[in-house]
Amino acid sequence: MTDNEATVAAVDWEAYERQFEGALKEVTSLDDLEKLRVEYLGRKSALAQALRDVRDRETGMRLNALRAKLQAGVDSCAGRLQAAALERELREEQLDVTLPGEHIPRGNYHLLTQIRREVEDIFLGLGYQVVDGDEVEDAWHLFDALNMGPAHVTRSPLHTLYLNGDIVLRTETSPSQIRVMEETKPPVYMVSLGRVYRRDTVDPTHFPIFHQVEGLAVDRGITLADLKGTLLHLARALFGEDREVRFATDFFPFTEPSMQASVSCFLCGGAGCRVCKESGWIEMGGSGVVDPNVLVNVGYDPEEVSGFAFGLGLERIAMLRHGVPDLRMFWENDLRFLRQF
Amino acid sequence: MLVPLTWLREYVDLDVPLEELAARIHTSVAEVERIVRRGVPDDDGNLDLYRAGRVVEAGKHPNADRLQLCQVDVGEGEPRQIVCGAWNFGAGATVAVALPGAVLPDGQKLEQAKLRGEVSKGMILSERELELGQDHTGILVLEDGPEPGTPLADVLPLSDTVLELETTPNRPDLLAVYGVAREVAALFDRPLEPWPGSDPERAGNEQIPVKVEDPEGCPRYIGRLFREVAVGPSPPWLRARLVSAGMRPISNVVDVTNYVMHALGNPLHAFDRQKLADGRIVVRRARKGETIRTLDGADRTLDERDLVIADAEKPVAIAGIMGSENSEVGESTAEVLLEAANFEPVAILRTSERLGLRTDGSNRWEKGVDPYLAEHAARLATELIVELTGARWLGEIDVKAELPKPPVIRLRPERASALLGLKVSPDQQRETLTRLGFEVSKRFDVTVPTWRARDVTREADLIEEVGRFRLDEISFTLPLRREMFGRLTKEQRLRRLVEETLVGAGLAEAYTSSLVPNDPEPNAIRLPEPLSADQAVLRTTLLPSLATAVERNVDAANDEIALFEIARVYLPPADPRPAERWRVAGILEGGYGRAKGVVETLHATLKLEPRFERGEHAFLHPGKTARTEAGFVGELHPARLDGSWGAFELDLGDLFGRVPDRLAYEDVITYPAVRQDLAFVVPEEVEAGELINAARAAAGPELRQVEIFDVYRGEQVGEGKKSIAFSVAFQSPERTLSDADAAALRQKIANTLAERFGAVLRSGT
Ligand SMILES: [Zn+2]
Repeated sequence: MTDNEATVAAVDWEAYERQFEGALKEVTSLDDLEKLRVEYLGRKSALAQALRDVRDRETGMRLNALRAKLQAGVDSCAGRLQAAALERELREEQLDVTLPGEHIPRGNYHLLTQIRREVEDIFLGLGYQVVDGDEVEDAWHLFDALNMGPAHVTRSPLHTLYLNGDIVLRTETSPSQIRVMEETKPPVYMVSLGRVYRRDTVDPTHFPIFHQVEGLAVDRGITLADLKGTLLHLARALFGEDREVRFATDFFPFTEPSMQASVSCFLCGGAGCRVCKESGWIEMGGSGVVDPNVLVNVGYDPEEVSGFAFGLGLERIAMLRHGVPDLRMFWENDLRFLRQF
Repeated sequence: MLVPLTWLREYVDLDVPLEELAARIHTSVAEVERIVRRGVPDDDGNLDLYRAGRVVEAGKHPNADRLQLCQVDVGEGEPRQIVCGAWNFGAGATVAVALPGAVLPDGQKLEQAKLRGEVSKGMILSERELELGQDHTGILVLEDGPEPGTPLADVLPLSDTVLELETTPNRPDLLAVYGVAREVAALFDRPLEPWPGSDPERAGNEQIPVKVEDPEGCPRYIGRLFREVAVGPSPPWLRARLVSAGMRPISNVVDVTNYVMHALGNPLHAFDRQKLADGRIVVRRARKGETIRTLDGADRTLDERDLVIADAEKPVAIAGIMGSENSEVGESTAEVLLEAANFEPVAILRTSERLGLRTDGSNRWEKGVDPYLAEHAARLATELIVELTGARWLGEIDVKAELPKPPVIRLRPERASALLGLKVSPDQQRETLTRLGFEVSKRFDVTVPTWRARDVTREADLIEEVGRFRLDEISFTLPLRREMFGRLTKEQRLRRLVEETLVGAGLAEAYTSSLVPNDPEPNAIRLPEPLSADQAVLRTTLLPSLATAVERNVDAANDEIALFEIARVYLPPADPRPAERWRVAGILEGGYGRAKGVVETLHATLKLEPRFERGEHAFLHPGKTARTEAGFVGELHPARLDGSWGAFELDLGDLFGRVPDRLAYEDVITYPAVRQDLAFVVPEEVEAGELINAARAAAGPELRQVEIFDVYRGEQVGEGKKSIAFSVAFQSPERTLSDADAAALRQKIANTLAERFGAVLRSGT
């Protein structure tokens, strides 16, 4: 037995480890940790010396394992202390988090675009196509095909803007329905949205240009009940799930029967208020079962297919839902107004 | 259409709450716009405070020359002292009295008062104070003096409730109280009274010369002659009716014509027979240039399309629209010729539009009045004229063409149910139609009543009749779609993408008018009859309107002004219709660079690489305008707007036409790019865009990216020259490019640029 062997044997490695663990628990700074590491793992530590002197394989493996274990203890403690130190440091860097962020320029969709998209999406979800018809139309597609005879009052230049002869600025988006039906066989499920033109004098509720959405469904077995259900769905999507819709008889040349649809007031819930003029109901727009003459005009057989149609003004939806008091604001493009929505 | 309920109840006995009546009329007949109460409020026993009173004594007020001091018996034993400002009555007269506490029609509460020292325990009322007419010159003296203390409501129509209906143009039959009563009777299954009016015995058989020269314009003309007419005011009940119905009482004869029009829907006219030349009526077209002074005092020039009622010499009325002063019934009138005619709608509408003259009469005629109605109207009017004016009815003529037979239409009840989406039994359908005056045979051949003959001509129209009475019963369903699915078109999806990109880039969306005062395009389409000079032309470019919107925001001192619009322009020629093109335009603070940045971002979003060349645009700065494949980008011409504003306008069709339908994968990861900076010295006039286009052409697809990062002018490059620095990336999807490959590509670029532009490669790293 050599001296060295005696040294290796003389140390109680279990106690060595216990002492290390005990001391490690007391460590509160990286400096202390370094001292501890030097004492137990440093070049001059008992463990390092023993590892240098060890000769038998078994003891060597045991001491190596011990060294690895102690080193892991040091590392994990160091990690903890560093994290705590960083945390302390960061807490010093206090910022006034209530100050404004860096300015990012913000764009904005026009309110009418927002409503247009809402309506489009509702009908896309119901399986309708969205059609952008032309704004300049001929009298056949705007009037005759829609069952408005030569004497119909809307045809008068007092109501409609004429370009020349039979060419007019559309007063509703429905001529695009005629064009789609002329070009395709039923079934047709479509909405057309866009600008329409009327000879109206500008005031808070009139502008010669406004936006309409008109819907058309033509298929086998379409009923007036389907129209009621579709407009109920639309009204609830636009004005809230609790809305009710009611219908009152009306007259339009292109539908028979024709009805005015009203939605229960979203503001007062039907009790009566300023918005609904104390009636509890707000008019949505005209609707009805497609007149058989219209179907015949596009070459459809009214005995085979039936349909419904409806029309609403986008401005009206916007004004009602958001309380916009004056239609002209949509066209003035004052950023203070635009950015509200 | 104003429908006083007391009048309505004369034709249909009805005892349903007002709310329910209004709601059902609204759903099935016509929109109820308002419910108006006329006259004395009839709640809280208010009507009990209105009495008939007999004036026992009347004399001058001791302290006021213009007041009368009256003692009035109102059935209390002791007469009441009442001070009154009118003098058109005296002791013995029976008058209308309101007692203290009464609420007057205008909402004021009457208090006992002292007037110039004398107590007044009530008020003697005028016609106008009771809303029975317009007359306020004197108080209302009750004829046939009812007993003092009689409730006034028993002798005068003190209050009424009026439904204000907005009827549809296809239903002229609803412009009549009787027509509305017919619907109400059907709705509530109550009996409808027979047509009002029955002919009194005719006191003679005088001939009335009537000639209808235009039977198409006037299919029927009933004339009736009355003599010994005493023109005077109508009785209170009639005046009250007219006021409730929104008309002004004039005189008994005129009031009768208005009353009958409102009751039955057939406008009537009364002529002073003695003012008709030859006592004759000729229904004819006007002669060109013929003039007439209508009852409103206006002189009107007629043409050959206007239908007139003439006498032997001159027009005495514009048929169906308005009478003339030259034949007007007045106080001295003793002979009346009553006209109960029928006129065709088209001519009436045209004349009334041309003259800008709309009357209660023309409003009915232009919708098409039932020619069979004339005889009912003549009958009711005759009865009333004889009764109210003491006249004798002496002659009648009825000139008519062959009147149209009522249409007969086959109804398939099962089809009605199918179209409505509501099971309605054939018996129920028959019942509804029958109540409305249709005759329904066993086989469902339906005869349309004459007053609906223009409106109901097809099976669909009958189905509407069945449906409108049960709108609330129809359920809410969705179509059982079989072959459709909803999706946006490519253009619609890309349009949304453009909107999203621009909003993301900080621009706010604007909506501007398609009709503009003028347009840079000289051939732009001009409306022949524009709304105003400001809305006269269909625009061919969005920028001018958008600049106006920007200007407004500048004036409002708004910050960060950046607007865009997506809308159509209308390109000439209009043969027959103009080309409608979707455009996007934007104007934003910060000059050319920002606008070009937005345009580049927009292209990048669409996966397009724009080419920029120097361009020209009337609206843009001549030195700072570039053209791309789809439009223009530049700086707004400073003459148009102060400051430096970036602007662009691109044609979405041109833009979207180049957007690839499908993007194919390219390997940009595996083989790294070689990045280099190249600087070329070129003559001042050479533009960077040209260099880039040439470099791309020279190096081919392995020149993956080329961007300008610096432009330098100065001594180092010499007078009239500039140095443009590019950062380029060479990359191949198939192999790693070696330094030698990169050098070769660089050389190709340098050679081409040297050759074409005299460019000298200054440095390359
Ligand atoms: Zn409300």
